Amino acid sequence: MDQTIIKYIIDELHGGRTDLEINSDDDLLGGGLVESMGMMKLIQFIEDQFEIKVAPQDMTIENFMTVGAMVTYISQTKN
Amino acid sequence: MHQLAACLYEAGVRKGDRVGIYLHRSLETAIAIYGILHVGAVYVPIDPKAPIARSQFLISDCNIKVLISHRSQKRNLEKIIADPTELKTIIGLEESWSVDTLSWETVYQGADHFEPPYRVLEKDLAYIMYTSGSTGQPKGIMHTHYSGLSYARLTTELYGVTEQDVVGNHAPIHFDICTFGYFTSPFAGACTVIVTDAATIFPASLGELIEKEKITIWYSVPLALIQMLQNGILDEKKMSALRWILYGGEEFPIKYLRTLMERWPHTTFCNVYGPAEVNQCTYYHIPELPTSDDPIPIGQIWGNTDYLIINEEGDRVDDNETGELLIRSATQMKGYWNNSELTEKSLYKEQDASGEEMAFYKTGDLVKEIDGVLHFLGRKDFQVKIRGYRVELGAVESFLLTHQSVKEAAVFPVRISEEKQQIEAAVILNAGSTEKEKDLIDFLKTKLPFYAVPTELKLVDDFPRTSSGKIKRSAIKKLVL
Repeated sequence: MDQTIIKYIIDELHGGRTDLEINSDDDLLGGGLVESMGMMKLIQFIEDQFEIKVAPQDMTIENFMTVGAMVTYISQTKN
Repeated sequence: MHQLAACLYEAGVRKGDRVGIYLHRSLETAIAIYGILHVGAVYVPIDPKAPIARSQFLISDCNIKVLISHRSQKRNLEKIIADPTELKTIIGLEESWSVDTLSWETVYQGADHFEPPYRVLEKDLAYIMYTSGSTGQPKGIMHTHYSGLSYARLTTELYGVTEQDVVGNHAPIHFDICTFGYFTSPFAGACTVIVTDAATIFPASLGELIEKEKITIWYSVPLALIQMLQNGILDEKKMSALRWILYGGEEFPIKYLRTLMERWPHTTFCNVYGPAEVNQCTYYHIPELPTSDDPIPIGQIWGNTDYLIINEEGDRVDDNETGELLIRSATQMKGYWNNSELTEKSLYKEQDASGEEMAFYKTGDLVKEIDGVLHFLGRKDFQVKIRGYRVELGAVESFLLTHQSVKEAAVFPVRISEEKQQIEAAVILNAGSTEKEKDLIDFLKTKLPFYAVPTELKLVDDFPRTSSGKIKRSAIKKLVL
């Protein structure tokens, strides 16, 4: 699941840059890896890909700051 | 702050030198601003989200030799220094590069007291903020310690800011709204909470922050509040500590403003107006729930400020007549950096009885004064003539926004031939709305004279925006054409 999300960020939000390395625990927001428009696209992707619905109150820093946090959130929501 | 000032001095920074700040919203921004001011230098905020070429332009335009940053900006910094600039030192990085680097850890190891061997006066330059020029090249607005301090004094007085206050700072440091959080708060002894970039992305986190930190004064563009409202984030939040909401940068759509005012009866809402060249110059404390959909006035001229309203012939207009607003104030800029020609063009000069020159800044904004209250009517260049009729594009937008399904609207002129232009519009609908383009055109036809109804109207998902959340009008045309 981690790799699917990372691949999306690199391919779709960074035009497939080859020199970009993203780890599951990298802060995506502080370093500007994902901007607000990018985050909206990413959430849309997560909803489609993992067949979940992200409620507005769940769109928080805690759930989306890192790829790892997203994976935890997705797993919890699916169950 | 002393430690950073000492490092800057060590790196060769002297009075009047321009030092760049290339930081996301973080605690380091406050240290950078005050460290630079303490060494007598001039700080220049550079938006890390701006294109690399623009950052490079600012660095060379201001002849910046030292840049204060953070390791999280490494990727962009690499691109910036890929082309040769004047840049010699970057503070906030560990690794050795083609320029000198110095980590924040090293900065903090310095002596905790430093005084430069010269004095800094109120009239000395303090900061240069860049805005997009209408011709394309960004313009650097120069402010002195005096204009910054005047802003701090005037706002402290106007909003009764005390050491009990907690100010929510949403704006990045290259946007002048942030001077409340960075200048007024320290001046009044209040606390500023710097909202992180992450919190600006997630309305839910932002709402939680305002409540948890017991923010008493909130200042941002309307969009930040509207997003929380639309996502239902504010439904359970009372925000009982909030005593002021200041908003500026653009108009607050009345339907959202009304909802917020109903929800937070303990909060006073203030419409703040002023181009970055004068920071702020008017205020309007909204006295009661707006009953009509008329735009909120920009209000009264604030302290230590003079104004004129003149027509196209350069004559002063009477009450109730439209003219351009000119401002002469304590918070006025010194001029545009490196561009005395543009500075001259921006000023309107008169002499007082003693022969002393009074230079007013021409805001380019059209206003009308009614019983001592100023009403904003749009940009001077936002007014177009269609088949000889004068059309105020802002007014067309306001009408679109009164439609229940319209979330946001932008109206702009499109030149179709040398002598002919037409009005077009782009609209974002509320989720779940089923209106078609034609429905909205028909709606406008019932509200506006025929010549003011847009010829084309397109529904879009979002607008291009500046990093401060304002609609980027120049880019919208490309989006819909």
